[in-house]
Amino acid sequence: MKIKEWLSRLPLWLYGCMLLPLLAFGLSKQDASYFSFSDIPRIWTDEAMKDWELPNSNPEYSAQPVSEEFYYKLPERVIYKTYPVYHPDHEPEGYWEWLHEQEAEIVLDESKLLTEEDYIKAGELLFDYPIDTLGAVINTQHVRNKDFYSATNMPLTPEGIMPFAQWIVGGKGKVYLGNLSCAMCHTRVMDDGSLLKGAQGNWPGDKAFAFALESDGVSERGVQGITNILFGSPFADGDPHGKLLSSGREAIIEAYKAVPEGAFGRQGTSILYPPQAPNLIGVKDRKYLDHGGLGQHRNIEDMMRYIAMNQALDFLNFYGDYNSIGLTKERLKSGEPIFFPGTHDRHSDAQLYALAKYVYSLTPPENPNKPSAISESGKIIFAEQGCVTCHTPPLFTNNKLTPSDDFEIPDEHYDKYDIFGISVGTDPDYTMKTRRGTGYYKVPSLLGLWYRGPFLHDASLAKLEDLFDPARLRDDYVPTAFKPHDVKTKAVKGHEFGMDLNEMDKKALIAYLLTL
Amino acid sequence: MDIGYLDIVVAPWRSSGNHCVRCENFNYLSEKIDFRSRLLLFMLIFFLIVPLLLPAQSIKPTNPIQFKIKNAGIIVDGTISDWEVMVDFDPKKLAQSSIRGKANPESIQTGIKLRDKHLHGREYFHIQKFPFISLESKSLRSNGKNAFIGIFELQIRDVKREIEIPFTLTQTGKQQKFKGEFTIDRLDYGLGEKSLVLSDEVKVVIEF
Repeated sequence: MKIKEWLSRLPLWLYGCMLLPLLAFGLSKQDASYFSFSDIPRIWTDEAMKDWELPNSNPEYSAQPVSEEFYYKLPERVIYKTYPVYHPDHEPEGYWEWLHEQEAEIVLDESKLLTEEDYIKAGELLFDYPIDTLGAVINTQHVRNKDFYSATNMPLTPEGIMPFAQWIVGGKGKVYLGNLSCAMCHTRVMDDGSLLKGAQGNWPGDKAFAFALESDGVSERGVQGITNILFGSPFADGDPHGKLLSSGREAIIEAYKAVPEGAFGRQGTSILYPPQAPNLIGVKDRKYLDHGGLGQHRNIEDMMRYIAMNQALDFLNFYGDYNSIGLTKERLKSGEPIFFPGTHDRHSDAQLYALAKYVYSLTPPENPNKPSAISESGKIIFAEQGCVTCHTPPLFTNNKLTPSDDFEIPDEHYDKYDIFGISVGTDPDYTMKTRRGTGYYKVPSLLGLWYRGPFLHDASLAKLEDLFDPARLRDDYVPTAFKPHDVKTKAVKGHEFGMDLNEMDKKALIAYLLTL
Repeated sequence: MDIGYLDIVVAPWRSSGNHCVRCENFNYLSEKIDFRSRLLLFMLIFFLIVPLLLPAQSIKPTNPIQFKIKNAGIIVDGTISDWEVMVDFDPKKLAQSSIRGKANPESIQTGIKLRDKHLHGREYFHIQKFPFISLESKSLRSNGKNAFIGIFELQIRDVKREIEIPFTLTQTGKQQKFKGEFTIDRLDYGLGEKSLVLSDEVKVVIEF
C-alpha cells in the first residue's frame, strides 16, 4: 500500500523519462529489425558441421570439414575498397596510374552494423568483394590483355566494365586483381548491358581459366596439378578426373574451354560434368543448396555455413584420407597457415550474416513476359502434364531431392531429408562422380527462367525449346550448350516431359514458363 | 500381374497346416478312426461347408477401379486395373452377405508413367512393402430399391479404416452388377503429404 502511495506522488515528467530509452531504439519501422551484434550465430561448430551436409554418394568419402578450433583460428577478412576492371579499350585515361596512387581504404566496420538494412548493405559489399588476390583464376596480366576478352567472349557492361572481378588496392602502388567474389559466378550481364546480381551468372570462368593456363604457358604438370586440386576425386567410380589428367595438357585445356557461360567448374565439382551456375534470387525459400543438394538449408546459419564452405574452405576438407591440395591430417592439425586461395583467412560470422541477409533480400527484376492468352493455355498444360508435382507453385519447386539413376536411396535418408523417390533420368555423373556429389539432384525452381540459361543441372541445353525436343534423346544430338570436349554428339537424356505435345502446346507451355 | 486372390487367402492355411498343433492332433485322431467313420466325416464336411462356399463368386472385373483427384485445378483421372472381388450377396439376406476385394496398386495409371512410378514408391503406395489394397464389408444395409449402404474396412498401406460406401445393384437374371462411389482423404492412409496443389480428397468409383 505504501509503495502504491509513493508511486502516485511521483511527478508525471518522471514517468515520461522512463519512456526515453525506447526512443533510443527508435519507434519507426526500423526498430522491428534492430538487433545486437551478440545475435550473430556462431556457425562453424563441430556439432553443427557434423551433419549439415549430405553424405557423398559414396558415403565413405563424405566431406570432413576442418574443426571449429581450426576455423576460428583463421584471421578474419578485412574488406578494402574495390575498383572496377575495364576492358583495355574502355579504361578511362590515366585510370591505371590513378589506381596506383590510391591508399588502402577499409570499407566495412562491423561495429557500425545495427539494423537489418545495415547488414543487407554490408552484404552487398561483401557479395562483390573478391576473397582472393593470389590469382586463383585470372590475374592482372590477363585482364589487361585485349585477347583475353575476345578469346573468352567476355560479357561487358556498356561502360566496358568486366563485372566478374575487381581491383583491390592494398596500399599505394599495390593494386591486385581480386577473384572469387560471390559476384563472379552470380552476376549476369543482361542483353541490354544491365547487371543482374544474384542471377545465374554468365561469367565464362572456365574459358577464362583456359586462357590463363595457355597464355601463362603452364606446363602439363602444372595443368594437371591445378585440375586435380579443383576436381580430383580418385574415389569416384572409374576415376574420370584421373583419366582426364592422364589425357594430357591440351585435352585438359579443351575441357575447360568446353564449359559454357552460365556453368562453372567450381572446386569439388567438375569440368567433365560442370554444374549450371545457381540462381540465388529466391534462394531464401530453397531447402537445399548446390545442384546435388549438398548443403541443407534449414535456417540462416546453414546459409552462412554454405557461404563459408563454398568460399574455398572445402579445399581443406578430407574425403576419407584424401585431400585435393595434398594436405595430410597432421599438417592441418599443426595450425600453421595454409597459403592457398581462400583458405588462409575467413569471413567473420558477422560478415557471413550480412552476406546471407543480402542474398535473402535479392528479388527478381520485373518480368517483361506478361501473362497472355497463350501463356494461360500453357498454364493449363503445365498442370495437365503433371509438372506441378515437382515444380509446385508458388516456389515452382517441391524443394525435394531426386535420386540419380545410379543411386540407391539409403532407408534412413527418408527420415532425414526431403526425398522424392524417383529419378527423372538426367545425367547422373555430376552427383555420382564428384566431391560434391550426393547421389541426388535437387528439384530446381522454375522461377526466373526468362533471365536464365543454359538449362538443366549440367547446362547442356541453351533454350527451353531444346528441352522439349525429342531429338535430344538421340545419341547423334549435338547439345546446344555444354558438350563434353571429347565428343561430337551426345544425347541429353532424362526429364522427358512435354515431348509428345504438339508444337502449339509446346509454345504455350514455354510462353507460360517464361512468365514465371 | 495377376493377384491370385484365392491363393493368397488359402495358401497360408495350406502351408501352416503341418505345423499346427490342432492339425497334428487331428492327424493323430484320424489314424484311430476307421474308414467308414472317415467317409462319414468327409461327407459331413463336404455337405456343411461347400454349400456355404458356393454362392461366393470370385470376379475379375473388366472395368478398372477409377479415381479422380484435383491437381493444380485440373482433375486427374486414374485407374487401377488389376483387382478382384469375392461376392456373396443376396439382397434378401444382407446379414449373411459379404463383399471383399483386393487391388494391386502396381497397376495404377494416371497418364504419366513417371508419376505412376512415383505413386508406387514409399511416399505413396509403397508397393514393395504393401502390395495390396483391400476392401472388406463389415455390414450391409438396404438404402431403397436396389440401393445399399455398406460399412467396409479399407486397408491402404498399413492403415485400416472403416468407411461407408453407398452402392447400387442391377440384377439381370443371375448376373449382378454393382456400382459404388466414395471419397477418401489420401492423407488418412499415408498417401503422400499435404500439398499446396494436390487435393487431399480422392473420389473412387468401383464397378463390377
